[in-house]
Amino acid sequence: MKGYSRLGLVAVALAVAVVASVSVGEVSVPPIEVVKSLLFAGTDYDLIVRELRWPRTVLAVVTGAAFGIGGALIQSVTRNPLASPDIIGITQGAGLAATIALTTGVIAVAPAALAGGLLAALLVFTFGSRSGFSARRFVLAGVAVAFALRAGIEVVLTSAETIDAQRAQIWLIGSLNGRGFTEASAIALTLVLALGPLLWAGWALRTSALDDDVARGLGVRPVARRYGLAAVGVVLAAAATAQVGAIDFVALVAPQVARRILRTERPGLLASALVGATLVVLADLAGRRLLAPTQLPAGVLTAALGAPYLIYLLLRGRRHAA
Amino acid sequence: MKRSAVVILGVLLLGAAVAASLAVGSRDIPLNDVVSALLRPSDGEHTVIVRELRLPRTLVGLQVGVALAVAGVIMQTLTRNPIAEPRILGIAAGASFGVVVAIAVFGLSTLAGWIWFGLGGAALAGVAVFSIAARTREGSAPVNLALTGAAIDAGLGALIYGVLSIDAATFDQFRFWVVGSLAGRTPQMALQVLPFLALGLVFAAMAARGLDALALGDDMARGLGHSVARWRAIAAAAAILLTGAAVAVAGPIAFVGLAVPHAARALVGTNHRWTLPVSALLGAILVLGADVLGRVLFPPGEVPAGVITALAGAPVLLWVVLRK
Repeated sequence: MKGYSRLGLVAVALAVAVVASVSVGEVSVPPIEVVKSLLFAGTDYDLIVRELRWPRTVLAVVTGAAFGIGGALIQSVTRNPLASPDIIGITQGAGLAATIALTTGVIAVAPAALAGGLLAALLVFTFGSRSGFSARRFVLAGVAVAFALRAGIEVVLTSAETIDAQRAQIWLIGSLNGRGFTEASAIALTLVLALGPLLWAGWALRTSALDDDVARGLGVRPVARRYGLAAVGVVLAAAATAQVGAIDFVALVAPQVARRILRTERPGLLASALVGATLVVLADLAGRRLLAPTQLPAGVLTAALGAPYLIYLLLRGRRHAA
Repeated sequence: MKRSAVVILGVLLLGAAVAASLAVGSRDIPLNDVVSALLRPSDGEHTVIVRELRLPRTLVGLQVGVALAVAGVIMQTLTRNPIAEPRILGIAAGASFGVVVAIAVFGLSTLAGWIWFGLGGAALAGVAVFSIAARTREGSAPVNLALTGAAIDAGLGALIYGVLSIDAATFDQFRFWVVGSLAGRTPQMALQVLPFLALGLVFAAMAARGLDALALGDDMARGLGHSVARWRAIAAAAAILLTGAAVAVAGPIAFVGLAVPHAARALVGTNHRWTLPVSALLGAILVLGADVLGRVLFPPGEVPAGVITALAGAPVLLWVVLRK
């Protein structure tokens, strides 16, 4: 199968997941009614479809896309498949700020988390950028910052009341419960603003396969380019984390799954976005229905769905190689 | 600095850390009283504090520091990834899951009861990660090992938090264990994990030569006549035993397994016959030092060692990384 038709398959999978997410619930809506209600309005299901489930599904899509792209960029720049926003400290920065906001109640959670994530990124960039760019140094500086911030979160959690600590813990896992268009539009706005840089990033990723010297000959500045790519990824991940919490595993797994489905050398941005979106939509759906009426946070289910699938892809790789 | 000088300095520092760990606390005990409490036990208060409260803690700290640091070296070499650590290979998550099962399913509420569950969980997760990775293409290629470990870690993490988010009572006990601490450890606990630790260290020592070869890459290692699969299995067994024992007894104390190997390599180079013992020394110093610091920082409260290792270790790792 050609790369484009595989990409098409992933897009179809996302569309199916989206319709399923709107259709399945306490009251199930036939898929055809879902499409009708979304396109034309005025059906009996408008309240359930348009008011309740669609906003949450849209949020799942943009969240997954932002984490997928963010992860793909950070993994490409660091050349490390384990690197993702939650390894290099972005998630922990957002998490620490959010934990403080939740346990003290003095500031709103989302802006605090966004500021925390970006501040953490700034720290990592400052430490990682001494005397030129090295992927290894960048990712190690990120890990060090992540651990220090994670320790900070633990200090706050262990010194807080159980009820506050548990609320913070739930935020830290990440959930779409009770969220919708407000959060979705904040992430979508970031994605739109990042569109220009993203088009550039797609091009820059293709050329970064080149030797640094060859790239320089073509008028590309390799170091500046790597920082640019990492910065775009960081902003997307921080924006998504700030709105829905730390839905951890998506940024790590989506690019790796995309790479294996499309059989490409490095993760493509569009494919990572589609895989990430599909994963979060399915995770949220499973979280809503599995123990209904108890809602499991999407952040728990992303790993529960993504981890076995990644292992399956890793195992299947052998057959194709033979 | 010469390698032998590093070792001598390390031993001296470790001695100081052990002494501080026995002498410093909410009540400071003069060093000669510590020595006499150890050698000539009496019924005095100092003897009780030193022998029953502080000595077990010091012993567990030594074990945990050595185990996590040595396991960290092995994992970074096996996955050929500088950010590998006990968490990345899913072993710490396995231990955590074992403890959650102990609390939530079996209703155990004491550390002593959790240890076996922690060990069992760590062993199961570790064996699962390594055997899945061995069945992937290129059999346990470093990147497959790292990704399998990350997947198992995340999957178990999801299970754990699924349980915790609907069970507040378990959450309340678990959140103090998961930070990692040496407080309240007994001599029995140190004894319980000792056989696993000792066996792990024996395997690690056996694997030292093989790890040097694996670090060169699988093809090169094969070319030099090494059995890649055999060295991997021995090293993996060492990593699982050491991490399992350490995490079971003290919780997943963060950062030691990640940062110490980098510091050791910066000091004595990449030959595992030096990196492993120097890491063991540094790991023990870091954990004991963190534990002492945690006791004196905000008296009468205690900051768990796991928090201090990350807070104090992060600048050290940054320094090691930026130095070059």
